[in-house]
Amino acid sequence: MTPRTRHLGGWAVLLVAALVCGLGAWSYGQARGDRSLSYAKARDTALAEGRAHLATLNSLDGENARRVDDGLRAWLDSSTGPLHDELARTREADAKSLTAAGDTARGKVTSAALTALDERTGTAELIATVDVEVTPRSGAAGTQRKRFGATLARTADGWKVKALTAIGTGGGR
Amino acid sequence: MSAIGGTTTVSGDAALDPEAEETRTGTPDPEDGTDVSRRRWPRVLGALLTVALIATGGALYAEGRQLRDTPATANLALTDAEATTRVTGDVSSALSKVFSYGPGATATTRAAAEEVLAGKALQQYAALFGQVERQSADQKLTLTTEVVRSGVTRLTDDSAHLLVFLDQVYERRGRTPTTASAQLTVVAELRDGRWWIVEIGST
Repeated sequence: MTPRTRHLGGWAVLLVAALVCGLGAWSYGQARGDRSLSYAKARDTALAEGRAHLATLNSLDGENARRVDDGLRAWLDSSTGPLHDELARTREADAKSLTAAGDTARGKVTSAALTALDERTGTAELIATVDVEVTPRSGAAGTQRKRFGATLARTADGWKVKALTAIGTGGGR
Repeated sequence: MSAIGGTTTVSGDAALDPEAEETRTGTPDPEDGTDVSRRRWPRVLGALLTVALIATGGALYAEGRQLRDTPATANLALTDAEATTRVTGDVSSALSKVFSYGPGATATTRAAAEEVLAGKALQQYAALFGQVERQSADQKLTLTTEVVRSGVTRLTDDSAHLLVFLDQVYERRGRTPTTASAQLTVVAELRDGRWWIVEIGST
């Protein structure tokens, strides 16, 4: 009698353990397969990377030709698609005019939000306010407050800016 | 077990032959020993398996929890599309209402503000609006506010943080209207099924 109950007890404990393992696996599987979870993570990644790229695209050190070149390369690294093509096309002219002007700009994103995210196609819409501190070669520095709408696209190298529009007064739509 | 039973039955004879008892009790021992060690293995295996199963289950559960409990999931902005659209709509219409007024209609605006603003936002607004009412009457000033873009930065079941871009058109009688842009960060709270603006800040 005693060994029999002990025997049964052993099986019961094993069964409970198997159940615990099964429940754990099920819970993990649920978390892994959770679409809203991956969507939420994509949203946060897109926002963070978009912010960083927007700051880059509003910054340029115009002290000398080499720094301007570095800045323009950073612009290309932050962009993709149409914006990238446009920047690549005007790069030489930009380098010349920006070096000649010699102004230095430093952009800082003060606030940003995603207004849309399509995880399937890998696109997102971002709005942001950017403070651009401009230091001319000669003269006092000033800060410009700008607001932007940006279209982000997911690339193999993370989220990049595909299109960038300044949302001016009256021309918002 | 049967071995012990065996010894008790032969105990009567044991007095006659003590050696016989010794041999009888001694012989079953090695057999019993192999039996025990043979039976111990499944038990040890079972115990190990139990521990392994529980540990695996626990680890998987913890891993799942960790995946789920990130700050990303606590924020429902865009993941809950319906709630996001709703709070954006409510806050946008509220802002255009409270920041639009005409010379003779400031009372309407003030009444509308009490319907959509609460807490700190209402206090700030009341302090500002007294000034505005005088100005509007004196200068025949009309302000029209339009929300250009808005996005939700953070959303939970009952609170939301938004970034809103506004265009504001000022019209003074007899002059050409001027347009100004404004960017606001707004905190809203869901109370009694409605979104109330509780804080307004400029970015």
